[in-house]
Amino acid sequence: MTAAASPPDSRRVRWQRFVRGLIYGRDIDRDVKAKARIGLTLLVFACVYAVIAARLVLFALAPEAHTARRGAGQDAMATARPDILDRRGEILGTDVKSPSLFGEPRRIIDVDEAVELLTAVLPDLDATELRERLSSKRGFVWLKREITPQQQREIHRLGIPGIGFLTENRRVYPNGPIVSHALGHVNIDNQGIAGIEKWLDSRGLADLHLAGLATDRLQKPVEMSIDLRVQHAMRQELLAARDKYKAKAAAGIVSDVRTGEIVAMVSVPDYDPNNPREANDPTRINRLTTGVYEMGSTFKALTLAMALDSGKATLNTTYDARTSLRYGRFNINDTHPLHRYITLSEVFTYSSNIGAARVALSQGVEAHKAFLRKMGQLERLRTELPESAEPIVPKRWGELNTITIAFGHGLSVAPLQAVMAINATVNGGYLVPPTFIKRSQDEAMKLATRVIKPETSDRMRYLMRLNAEKGTAKKADVPGYYVGGKTGTSEKVVNGRYSKKQVLNSFTAILPADDPRYLVLIMLDEPQALPETHGFITSGWNAVPTGGKVIERIAPLLGIAPRFDLPPADQLILGLTASVKANKK
Amino acid sequence: MRLLNALLIGALVLAASYVYKIKFESTQRVERAAKLRMEIRREQDAIAALRARWAQLESPVRIQELAQRHLQLKPLTPQQFQSFDNLPERPPEVAQAPSDGIGDLIEEATGSISSTQPVLPTVPAAPATPDAPDPAEVTP
Repeated sequence: MTAAASPPDSRRVRWQRFVRGLIYGRDIDRDVKAKARIGLTLLVFACVYAVIAARLVLFALAPEAHTARRGAGQDAMATARPDILDRRGEILGTDVKSPSLFGEPRRIIDVDEAVELLTAVLPDLDATELRERLSSKRGFVWLKREITPQQQREIHRLGIPGIGFLTENRRVYPNGPIVSHALGHVNIDNQGIAGIEKWLDSRGLADLHLAGLATDRLQKPVEMSIDLRVQHAMRQELLAARDKYKAKAAAGIVSDVRTGEIVAMVSVPDYDPNNPREANDPTRINRLTTGVYEMGSTFKALTLAMALDSGKATLNTTYDARTSLRYGRFNINDTHPLHRYITLSEVFTYSSNIGAARVALSQGVEAHKAFLRKMGQLERLRTELPESAEPIVPKRWGELNTITIAFGHGLSVAPLQAVMAINATVNGGYLVPPTFIKRSQDEAMKLATRVIKPETSDRMRYLMRLNAEKGTAKKADVPGYYVGGKTGTSEKVVNGRYSKKQVLNSFTAILPADDPRYLVLIMLDEPQALPETHGFITSGWNAVPTGGKVIERIAPLLGIAPRFDLPPADQLILGLTASVKANKK
Repeated sequence: MRLLNALLIGALVLAASYVYKIKFESTQRVERAAKLRMEIRREQDAIAALRARWAQLESPVRIQELAQRHLQLKPLTPQQFQSFDNLPERPPEVAQAPSDGIGDLIEEATGSISSTQPVLPTVPAAPATPDAPDPAEVTP
């Protein structure tokens, strides 16, 4: 460029040179300098372009994030829950999408018109409340949760500004009240507030919800241990029994003795989880986990198991039942007094209070307490269900307490707790914590603790079976299933006294008794005497026949093959132990 | 030099149009993917709703009610189970079949039953093996 300067401009050129000399200095090679500058500029621009290019690539690579967010905006409130299935894969609880109506009061132009139009489509909407909500200064108000798709279409067609829909997950329980207490229910925001539903939330689902991650339908379904068919059969029979004996309540459990799984758990009156408001009614509580009861003679099973397991007593050890047992000012009597020395098996089959008390006394107070603690009867039993009850244990445990607790009075436990202990006495001696979630036998064995010897367990099976052959549980001896069982009638405390009229009856059955697979517990709260029961209200007249009906119905469902012409208990079960012993030697 | 420039410009235009085409296609595909995803979602929701409905329809309470109203089935008794060991031996071929009501009826109706086929005497029904109870158990 400087080379192009012409002579007439020489003064200008000289001036330019002078100025440049001032700026750059005289002896600098400007060509080199210019090249360096151009290089620098190139580098800077290259960097800028590289950044732009990289950014473009980034945008090109992640366009999904943007579109996905747009899609998710529609159901921001959709807190999905995993499906709940029964042990055979039937749906117990599932999510269904349904639209909910909301309003943005700031964007509504004519509140009166909006109220008028909306109440025309949704007649059950309260007009004054609606007007109040829409006139508020808030940015967002719910108008109605869970409307039908048809209502959504109609409202959409009205074209009211400031009214919109959000798709929400609604929890549906297709089987209604059949599985109510174990399943639990959710609140309007789809958060579990009872039963297994609450347990799901406590397992981290609630955190997922907060993080907004649980909107996916692909969560793994939860398999419960409940068998819907068994649960239904149990519920039907209990409802029938409750009607027949005019009982206040009825409850029943079917439990797998080896795995501790609860195959059915019914407590009527129950409620429909689709209508959770019913659950607040205190008469509809789950009597099996949230109630504590004196289990009555059922506890004799534990007393005898303790005696047999200690090795100090055998089935033929005799106890003095000639007269009633006096302790201080208390008098322990029997319902069927025998007035003689009775053997341990007779204590069980005649359900002798005196006998059970003497058995426990012969073991001593401390041993009795320690045994019940080992069997988990003195502490609160925790399962997946959030509802649980603390057993009522006497503060000072003296001889009198041991005497009464030996036959099931003076210690109140949750029935589920008693089921766990009786499971242990018949399943070979393993205390397995009960569960409502499907569990394999291996998993159960990892959790199990051995509490009594296998031989003791065999003797307990024998006693249970003997009771169905000769004792109080005869009415439940469904032919073919080799049922064993123990009855319990406990008098309820009314105004500080044990009442003769108000009783809580229970029946614990095991099937088949020679190698038990399932335990069935039936409880009837205050059954009334009927002409059919000859005026009796003891367990053998109501809880036991109910148990028999339940067993006849559920045994085929549980896959238990009926066997006929089996030898009586002393041959089959005790003979069994003899052969096992022979094998060991 | 000019030629090179022209070539470069040509190449630039080509590259630009190619990139535009790719970009356009990818946008289309992304949109299609989003649409499909939404459709899948809708289908999943519909499936969930139908499954819930199905479960409602096959709820034991409802089935029992229907069975009691329309069927003459009675609750299963333990005596109705038989094991394979209790099945009688297949009878030897009989020349003259004992009077068999159903067989006679069939013969009358079809008239073409081959007489060489052995006719089994009516065996009391042994419906199921004890280990496999009917999966669709309906015990009213």
